[in-house]
This record gives sequence, structure tokens and C-alpha cells, in this order.
Amino acid sequence: MPFVKHQGSGQDGRGASGDTVAVHVAGLTNPDANARWGAARMLGGVVGAVPALSRALEKETEGRVREAILTALIRTGDEASVRALLPSVRSQDASRRAAAIEALQVLPDAIAPFLTALLADGDSDVRLLATELTRNMPAERATDILCNLLEREMHPNVCAAAVEVLAEVGTEDAKPVLAACAERFRDSPFLLFAITTTMARISGAEGS
Amino acid sequence: MADSKDVGAVSVTRDEVRRLCEFLYRRTGMSFDDSKRYYIDRRLTERIQATASASFQSYFALLRSDSQHEIEHLVNAFTVNETYFYREEHQLQCMTSHLLDDLMLRKPTGETLRIWSVPCSTGEEPYSIAMWLMENWKDVDSYNIEIVGSDIDTRALKAAAEGIYGERALMRLPRDIVDRYFTRLDDEHVQIDPGLRDSIQFTRANLVDAAEIALQRDFDIVFCRNVLIYFDDASRRMAAENLYDSLRPGGYICLGHSETMSRISPLFQVCRYPEAIVYQKPEQTK
Repeated sequence: MPFVKHQGSGQDGRGASGDTVAVHVAGLTNPDANARWGAARMLGGVVGAVPALSRALEKETEGRVREAILTALIRTGDEASVRALLPSVRSQDASRRAAAIEALQVLPDAIAPFLTALLADGDSDVRLLATELTRNMPAERATDILCNLLEREMHPNVCAAAVEVLAEVGTEDAKPVLAACAERFRDSPFLLFAITTTMARISGAEGS
Repeated sequence: MADSKDVGAVSVTRDEVRRLCEFLYRRTGMSFDDSKRYYIDRRLTERIQATASASFQSYFALLRSDSQHEIEHLVNAFTVNETYFYREEHQLQCMTSHLLDDLMLRKPTGETLRIWSVPCSTGEEPYSIAMWLMENWKDVDSYNIEIVGSDIDTRALKAAAEGIYGERALMRLPRDIVDRYFTRLDDEHVQIDPGLRDSIQFTRANLVDAAEIALQRDFDIVFCRNVLIYFDDASRRMAAENLYDSLRPGGYICLGHSETMSRISPLFQVCRYPEAIVYQKPEQTK
């Protein structure tokens, strides 16, 4: 047979034991992307490393290293981690914005204290993206947050984003707010269609 | 009325199935196209009935809250949890028809071909890989091949190393292959060839433990089927990064037939072959 006979554990002894956080933090600024990747991978869940990860995320140009930094911050998952992720939501780079939103979505409890401010942000793009952060929350909580937004939001695209999330998470409580929103945007056929579909979904009546 | 399917007392519409598929994709990375509609309808209505949900709407609320581990139950319903030899044979076919040719073009002379089956459960998959290579790869005798099977469950690993199986595990194997690679122990059990048993290295590994996976390196192909769908988002990301590190540049990952790496991580490139979609670690990493 061409197969190599196995001997012992086959372990090559590589691993992270004995390495220190300080070494890995220093590794985040190494010119070699592989070293930065390895360093970020070792700093997940290390509370004290969040400031360094935050700085690294801001400067990192290599996509896969950014992914590792995001994962490390998700693993820590505290308020500081959320603060580290938030600036990326305002990035001019769409892939950075999307990656940050995906990372924040994984942390529904940690993001909660920041949601009110995000949904009231002066930048409509930030408000629009922030609606996605409610998607993994319990239905009642998400409905409440999104309805509060819809009651005062004037930007149709932000409303459309909120309505789209409500189509998945919304409860019956959302229906009066959706109806009011439809009235406010009665000249926007797209939004009216989205609201009609969402109301039908909430009622369990769509497509039947 | 939009294409409503009624199974028992519960009916689901096309739109509801689409909502479920969107949710599953986002939460688990499982992906189904319209050609799987009947398959999805059946399992969805089974779960609606099993949870005594009055409608899709109430079932979907239960699923989202995951209060009764319903996501896991649903994933189980979509996944064949039975393991047997030559399961998802199309991926083995893809390996010998495409992946190995590509890998061997780039492989330095004398370098061992390394294949990892994780999780390997009781060993059917790594043994299937070995038998498939012996039976279907013309260059099998030209290279040194190393196959590793890993699982978090040490009892499963012990059973894998013993290599004793019931008749059901053999259901997809041609009779001549059973005759060549197995010895009958009694009316109900067979044991895999000692040469093959000695050829597979079984090790414990937890896919989300970077330190454990750091012991597993330099693989050319990883079979990692129907496990990432059970992880939460953070664990899936960690597992994807661990798998990335376990591969040689240009190495491939084969996931389960309904799984997609695209939702989980952008680290890999999608490779579409007639038999299967697989994921490749980029050859050049800065």
C-alpha cells in the first residue's frame, strides 16, 4: 500500500504554549502578514489585547489578517471590543463596513448599549447598517428597537432596511408602526411594497 | 395562491421556504437551491409537526429564539447523521478527477500527500478515502500518502482504530471492494483490512481549539463535512481560520453537500467542479 504507516501521535510540537500576550501584540505590527495573522489568531479572548487589536484593525490592509482580528475581537466580545469594531462601520470601504457589521451581529448583547446612538447617527448609511444589528436579537426586543426607529426616520432607504429586518424578526406589535410608515411614504412604491410584504409575513398570510 | 404545499395539517408556501433558507444560510452556512424544494418542504413540515407549532409563523419564531435547540434539530433533519463508507461519493470522485491532478502539478518531488478527515467519527470517511484512492487513482503507487482522521470524541476514535463495522456501513460499497478490504468477523460484523488500519492515523482534535489544530499542519486536502453547520458564528469563524492554517497553500477543503464556506469566511476561494463545489486556500499568501 502507498500509505505512510502512522507512528505515535504525529504531533509536530508547534503551538502557542509559552508565548506571551506581549509578543503577540508586538506581532500585530510585524511587516510580514503571516506573522500578523498568527498574532491576531493568538489574541482572541484576551481582554488586554483589545486596544492593540483595535489599532491593528484600523491599519491592516491584508483581508485575511483583518478577518483574524475581527474574530479575535468577537471572541473577546466585550464593550471595548464593540468600540474597536464601530469605526469600521463608517469606513469608505464597503467590504470593511460589511465585515464589521457581520462581526457586531455576533455580539447582540454587547452591541445593545450602542444601538440607540447608532440608529440616531447623523449618517444615514450608519443608521441603515445598524438596522442589521437587531437581526439576531429576540423578536420582541428587535421589533421594539426597529419600531422606534421607523416612527421618526425620514430616510426611505433606512426605513426600507428596517422593514426588511422586520420581515424576519417582526411581531404583531410592528404592524401599526408599519402602517404609519406606509402612510408617510405613500409616494414611494418600493417602500409600500416592502411594507405590504412584511405586514403579510408578520400576519403569516404571505404567499397563500 | 403561491405554490403552497400541504403535508398533513401544515402547509408551507414558497415564500416561507425561502425565508427559512435565508435564515439557515445566515445562521449555519447551509445553502439550498430551488431544486431542493421538496426535500426542504418535507423536513420543515416534519419539524413543524414535531414541535407542535400551529403554523410556519410560530415555528419560525421558535426557530429564531432557539429556545428548544430547534436550530440543531432542524439541521439534524437536513443532515444524514448516519455515517457509512463512500458517503458523498461525488466528492471522492472530485478528488481523483480534479483535485489531485492540480495538487500533484505543484507538489515538490518527494513531498507526501496529506489528507485529513475531520471530524472522522468512527472512521468510515478516512477509510473510504484510502479505499477510493486505491481503487480510483492511477497514480496511487507513485506517491507517499498520509491520511489522518481526527475527532473530538475519543470513544469514536477508539472504534475507528478498531475498524469493526456493521452491514449498514457497507451499503454503498460494491461487493468486490468489501471482499478485498474487509474480513468477516460474524454474521453482522466485518473488520477493515489491518494494512489500512495501520495506515490511518487517528488523533483527537477540537476544530475550534487553535492550539490543538496547530498540531495538524500541511494538509493538501481536508474533508470537513457536516460539522460547521452546528457551530455558532464565532466558533465557525475560529474553525475556518484553524482549517486555513492546517492547509498547505493551494490545498482544498471539502464541506458537506449543503454547506457553503462563502457565508462563513472569505479566506478561501470557491472552486466549482462538475462533481462538487470545494474551497481552496489561495496559493499565494503574503
